[in-house]
Order: sequence, then structure tokens, then C-alpha cells
Amino acid sequence: MTRPTPDPIARLADALGTLPAGVTGDARLHRSSWRTMRFANSWIHQPHVESGATVSLRVVADGRIATATTTDLSDAGIGSLAATALALARVAPREPKFPGFPEPDGTIAPVAVSAATRRLSVDAAARLAASAIEAARAEVPDARVSGAVHVGAESITVLNSSGLRRSTERTAAEASVLVERLDTDPPVSGWAEGSEWDATRLDPRRLGRVAARRVPTAPVRSIRPGRYPVVLRVPAAAELVGFLGHLGFNGHGELEGWSCLAKRRGRRIVPPSFELTDDGRSPLSLPQAIDYEGAAKRRTPLIEDGRAAGPALDLVTAGRLGATTTGHGMPPESPWGEYGPSPCQMIVGAGDATEAEMIRSMRRGLVVTRFHYVRIVHPSRSIITGMTRDGTYLVEDGEIVAPVRNLRFTQSVLGALAGIEQIGRARERVGDERGFAAVTTPALLTRDFRFTSATVF
Amino acid sequence: MDDLLDAALDAALTPGTRAAEVRLVAPQRYEHLAVRNGEASALTASTRQALGIRVRRANAWGFATTADLTPAGARSAARDADRAARSAARTARAPIAVVDAHGPAHGRYATRLKRDPFAVDLAEKLAMLTAAERALHTGPEVKSGHASFHAWKEAKWFASSEGARYTSTIVQVGAGIDATAVANGEVQRRSGPTSFGGDFRQAGWEWIAALDLPSLAPTVGREAVALLRAPACPTGTLPIVLASDQLALQVHESVGHATELDRILAFEAGYAGTSFLTPEGRGTLRYGSPLMRIVADATEPGGLGTFGWDDEGVPAAKTTIVDRGLLAGFLTSRETAARLDLPRSGGTARAEGAHRMPLIRMTNVDLLPGGSSMDELLEGIADGVYFETNRSWSIDDKRLNFQFGTEIGRRIVRGELGPLVRNPIYAGMTPAFWASMDAVGDRSTYHLWGVPNCGKGQPSQVARVGHGAPAARFQNVRVRGG
Repeated sequence: MTRPTPDPIARLADALGTLPAGVTGDARLHRSSWRTMRFANSWIHQPHVESGATVSLRVVADGRIATATTTDLSDAGIGSLAATALALARVAPREPKFPGFPEPDGTIAPVAVSAATRRLSVDAAARLAASAIEAARAEVPDARVSGAVHVGAESITVLNSSGLRRSTERTAAEASVLVERLDTDPPVSGWAEGSEWDATRLDPRRLGRVAARRVPTAPVRSIRPGRYPVVLRVPAAAELVGFLGHLGFNGHGELEGWSCLAKRRGRRIVPPSFELTDDGRSPLSLPQAIDYEGAAKRRTPLIEDGRAAGPALDLVTAGRLGATTTGHGMPPESPWGEYGPSPCQMIVGAGDATEAEMIRSMRRGLVVTRFHYVRIVHPSRSIITGMTRDGTYLVEDGEIVAPVRNLRFTQSVLGALAGIEQIGRARERVGDERGFAAVTTPALLTRDFRFTSATVF
Repeated sequence: MDDLLDAALDAALTPGTRAAEVRLVAPQRYEHLAVRNGEASALTASTRQALGIRVRRANAWGFATTADLTPAGARSAARDADRAARSAARTARAPIAVVDAHGPAHGRYATRLKRDPFAVDLAEKLAMLTAAERALHTGPEVKSGHASFHAWKEAKWFASSEGARYTSTIVQVGAGIDATAVANGEVQRRSGPTSFGGDFRQAGWEWIAALDLPSLAPTVGREAVALLRAPACPTGTLPIVLASDQLALQVHESVGHATELDRILAFEAGYAGTSFLTPEGRGTLRYGSPLMRIVADATEPGGLGTFGWDDEGVPAAKTTIVDRGLLAGFLTSRETAARLDLPRSGGTARAEGAHRMPLIRMTNVDLLPGGSSMDELLEGIADGVYFETNRSWSIDDKRLNFQFGTEIGRRIVRGELGPLVRNPIYAGMTPAFWASMDAVGDRSTYHLWGVPNCGKGQPSQVARVGHGAPAARFQNVRVRGG
């Protein structure tokens, strides 16, 4: 087999430098190294070690755009990219509004990364997972403990034929713990998760303990579906905010008319106390200095004073809308190119309430820990549906009185956020398993959340 | 390739290692071409190469993957897999048992096709997509048209310390169109032949040509526009008929995932969830009406879940999952089969590629056709709703409470399909819903669909699976407009 080239970036620069006259392009090298310790039935069942790299080359020839990618980092593998991309571009429809590739405009300060995370060994990752299991079972001895620890680093280098060359690194450490007691009917569970860019701040032992202590001891009750005030704990709040990022701020949604905010930008849509930004540089998120087109990440207000700002844009969508990129370019290859630019490092402004205060303020309502299998029902109305999972509780007269059987919600995201009455003080970060996207949010209390059916557990 | 497999196996068999499997995928090719509103939405060609090594020690698994396909790269990955297994063993609770692979796999599997999609001229593919996309624009309300084509080719070498060694080349294709119509604040999308990228098959370009998307497109565009003005779906408890494409997804979500034995045994509890089924339910649990017959068939010609051997070296099999309404079997791997003392694995352990660990995945999970024509399914329904082409889908983590929305609905009035209704949604609980199935469509209503985007696992994996389904009728279903 062919051997990886020692300097793939130089080889990509060669590929860009030898494009035919009049053809421009950009290229990416994306390296990653991950350790995943997936545990179930209270033991590590799927330990996964991965190191890899992908290179991609996008060309623009006579306004026609195409992309080729490979994980073959040999000279031949990288060398074949230009021919493949050019062959695709020759038959592509024209993209007359493509603004061209950006020129270098100064250096970009690095963002927070963690060398300890990058270096964390396989065995250390396994110890983190083991600590979560031990802590949970110390609290609930017969519990079934499941979850995962993901630790890794990714580096992204973008270069283009205008001379831009930028790099960034992202580190991430994530853990989730589910603790289930099976000796009740129905079984009950508790959940906790954490996401850090610095693995030394990730404490799976604490997460295991928290998840175990959230396992209810009171009998599970059934409640009628209907409208309830709801405290959305961080994982549930993050899910709603994540959907708003796609339904309201995706650049394709704006272009294609399905964005729920397309005709509402600049108008008040939520209470002024709810502030939302996207900030790839903030250590509150999982920082990444540039997007996948080399544009600098920066603080981008999404909702200020309750009013929605513009959508997230990349080079193509910005060109079509006559705007400039907002630094939200995804990898141009499939599936990201089709998904379109979206905010990936969203941060909700902190409020001043504790979870206990939110609960005390409710006469009758619910606390939702997290959601499951949430899907879009109607994009332009921001209606989504999904189930509650792993800890849904009934509140009466300001106190949690019982866990309840899980409920299905069918609810407008904007409606839920418009009904926010209290915003939590403590913010936590919820990231995806490889830190590609994160939402940092406090818990939220919304006054009117619609549950449409119930399940039996 | 054999040298590389040998180097990896040699390096993986350290003292204490009970077994090792090596998968080498080189290349895994993917081509995605898409046109949106006359512009190139995605023109992507990608190749991936990877080597994956899974080792089994007495009480722990280990997996590592690399894209460095040299002997040094293979040895490094083997060391990582060994390290992963030794590290995982710190939490071990019991020895790992696996059932026999049913004889070491030997041989070669290859997709039967007439025209390699990667050899078809790009201009021909783009011309088809451009023509189809253009034909979607049947009126000014069609704000967005989209036509896409996907093709995958995976060349795989598999070897195990138990003596298995096979090669496999699988080619899969799919294409589809969708139109988004917008007017007066209403947005409606209509797809063809179905949503999520269209109609997929393990085949060559001949499958795409036969879809004839340019001819289908005007109907899709007109239906998108018509949906803008259609009345909302009625609300009530009604008889419904599910078209084949929607029933395929119903099978996927409420039978396919529910019968994955790793879910039932709680190995997916922390992420995808578990199942309402228990091992003890096999042979006794009533899943649905006696008309319900479901198989998992990895030998079905043309399915996205068709192959020669799975990623544990187990030969492709056909397993009965539901027999006349009774739970009859599960989707299994060698480890999960051993936990139930089953004689063999059903051969459903598959990975997205060599860069991922094999998990239990659906093959082609099919609802077998019954004896009713479409007219007979509609017959006797005084007032009901017909659902076609999935738009939204959600189900709880035990696969019980579900809610599905489709792109299009039609009133069924006095036994005949009536006018369109928009935003139709139906919901229910899995066993009660399947128990209400009182008529199953015949072969004329049956189609083998492909689901190209089934997600599972951490790190996440996307599987392409197949579902054959006829149309079918269900009674007393909760229906409403979204």
C-alpha cells in the first residue's frame, strides 16, 4: 500500500498552485485522534481508538464548484483530488454569485485548547469511564450504569489559492452517565452529562454520582398530556436551542424559505432576558478559531433584546444573499455542504435563578431532564416533536413530588422560548460526541409547553 | 492486501487475546451530486480507506482503526486495539462468550450490476439531475427544487484468527427529487419517489435510469403546490392506510430497532435506548395482528442490507422476526446470540466501514405482503386517511410511543381516495398499532425501499438498510394535522 506523505499541507499547497489558469480553490486537512470508552451493563463494552485524517479540495472553475475528499494521504491520493474535483466542476451548473476565496487579512489569535486532552492515554480514558461506573454504583449498588467517555483532539488547516493559510485546533472531552434501577415498575433512571475542552476539568466520577442521586425513589406516576409550565434542565434546554440554531439561523433555511425566522428578523420574538450568541472563540463553548473555509470565528449575536439577528452564512450562501460570510462554513463535502451553515457554538446568556427557585415558583408543572428522538414536524413554524427521557418529574406547590411516565411533546421552539419566565444562573456546555457543535445554556423555565401523549414507562 | 491482513492479525494476537478480526476497506467510494434551483448544491467525490482491528480477550473487547495502510500502520492499530481491550478489562464483570461463526467465511461477494455508477460519465448524471430539477418548477410557488444522486462502492477484505477470509465489493445507488412550495406563510415539501434522498438499491446506474426522475418531477412539483391549499388533516380516531414507503419506515422504527438484541440486552441503553421487548418474549409475545409477518433477510437481491457475510464473518441469513403476529426472533451478533444460548448469530453485525466497530444493524427487514389489492385496502373505509412519504418520525427509547408525519395525505371517503390533506400526523403505541392491522397489501403494493441514513452507536455510525413493505390498513388510529 502507499505510504502517507510526510507533509500533506505542502502537498495540498502544490495541488492548489498547479490548478489550471483561471481555476481557484481551497483545501482542508482535518486530523483527528479520539478515544471512546463506551460502557453498558456497568462495564466498558466498546472501547474505540481512532486516528485519522481527511483532506479535501474544492475548486471553482468558471463559476462551477466541486469538491473531492480522501483519507488517502499518499502523494498519489492527494494528487488525485484536483483531477477529480475538476472533472466534477466541468459538468456543474454555474454558481454566478460565488464571491471568491478570501485573501489573508491578518493572523488570528489561538483559542483555548488543552494539551492534556490531546495527550490523554487510552488507559486514562478507560479510568475516567470506570470512575463514573464506580461512583454510580456506590450510590445505587444494584444500578445498571451506561454511558460513554469521548476524549480527543482535532486540527483543521485551511489554505486557498488567494494565499490564505490558517489552522486551528479543537480539543474535547465528553462524558454521559445513565443510571437505571430495575427493581421498580416501571424502572427509573437518572442522567448526567458534561462536556469540556479540557479533559482535566471533566469529572465523570461526579457525573456518575449526580446521575445516581437523580434516580427517583418515589413511585412513578402518570399524568395527563396537556400544557404545563416546565423547567428544562440543561440537556433539554440545549436540545431546544440547538434546533433553533438550525430552524432559525441556518443559511439554507433563509435562502429556501423554510427558516422560522425568515420574516421575523429584527422583531421581538422572545423576552429580552433571553440572549443568544454564537461564539467560536469563547472558552464557554468548545473553541475553534476558524471555520472550514478559513474564516475567523467571532462573537455573533443571534438574539439580542429579544430580537432575532441574521442567519449564519458561508461563502456560497453569503454570495447568494449579497452578504459576507459570518464564519459558519461547514466542510464543503457531503453531507455538511448540503446541510448548510449553522451556528455551532451557541451560548445562552445566564440568568439569576437556581433550579430550586424555578421549581419553587411553580404551582403545578414538570421538570424535564432531557429529550429523546426529537424531529422536525414543521420547519417554518419551528414545530418539533420528541419524548422526555431519564428523569421527568411532577412539581406541585413548589416541590418535586414524583417522577412521571415519559411524555411526548409537540411544540414550537419559538413558542417555548417566547414563554420563558426564568433563566438559570449556572450554565453548562452540552457538546456532541466529537465537539463539532456545542450549546452552552442554563436551565430554563417556560410557562406553556405542550405534551401530546404519554408512554407507559 | 493479504500481507497487510496477515501483519495486522499477527500483531493483534498478543498473549491473552482469544480472537482477532481485521477489516480492510480500500477504497470506500462515495459520490454525491445534487442540483438545487439550477445551481450545484453538492458535487462531492470522496474516498476513504481504513483498517479496523477488533480483538477479544477473556472479558473485554478492544477496537482500533487507522487510515495508514502500511504494515507499520497495521501494527500500530493492533497495539491500540490490544491496549483498549486491556484498559477496558478493568471494569470486566464476566467472561465474554460468542457463538460459532458458522464455519469460517471464505469467498467473494459482489453486487450484480449492469453499469458501474462510478464509470458513468459525469455529464450524463448531471444532465439527468438538471432536467429533473428543472421539471419540478411547475409554478411560481415552487421556491426550491432539488435533485440528488448518491453512489457508494465499498471494497472490503476480512480476515479473522478463526480462519475466515473473504472479500466483498458492494455498490449501492439512489436518487430522488423534492420541491418546496411557499405561499402565504405556508411551506410544503413533496419528494419523489420518496423522501430522504429518494429510492435506493444495491445496483448500478441502471436503477437510476429506471427511476426516470425527469418524468416524475412535474407530478412532485404540482403536489407540493397543491398541498399549500389543501385543508388540514382531520383530527380523530380513524382507519388509515399507509403507503408502502411510510410503512417501510414504520417497520424500521417500531420493529427493526426494537428487535435489535443489543438494545434488548441494554448495550445501547445510554444512547439509542433499549426496547420494550425481552428475551423471554420470543415465541410468546404478541407483536401484532396475525397478518403481521416480518423477516430480516440479508440475502434479498438488491437490498441495501444485502451482503455475503457480516462484519463478524457470519454468512448472510434470512431470519423470521415476527410470525403471524408473534415475536419469533431477533437481530443478533455472535456475542448477543451467545447470551441467549441461541445456536447461531443471525449475521447482522455490521459497521459503517473499517473505521468503526461492528454493531447489530438491520439487514433488509421486510413486512411480507398479504392478499389485498389497494382497492381492497380502501374498501369499507367510510372516512379515513391515507398517508404517504415520511416527513417526520419520532419514537420513544423503548420503541413504543411513536408519532409520524407524512408529506402528503388523502381523505379516504366511502372506499375511495379523496382530496389531499396537508400536514398529516398519526400516532400510537407499537403493539396496539400493529394489532390493529386488519389488511395487508398484496405484491402489487409492495416495494423494497432503502433507508440510507440509519444512525446508531458511539462514535456514530450511519448504516444503509433495506425494508420491503406493502401498503396496509390499520383501524382506530389517532390522526391529526400538524
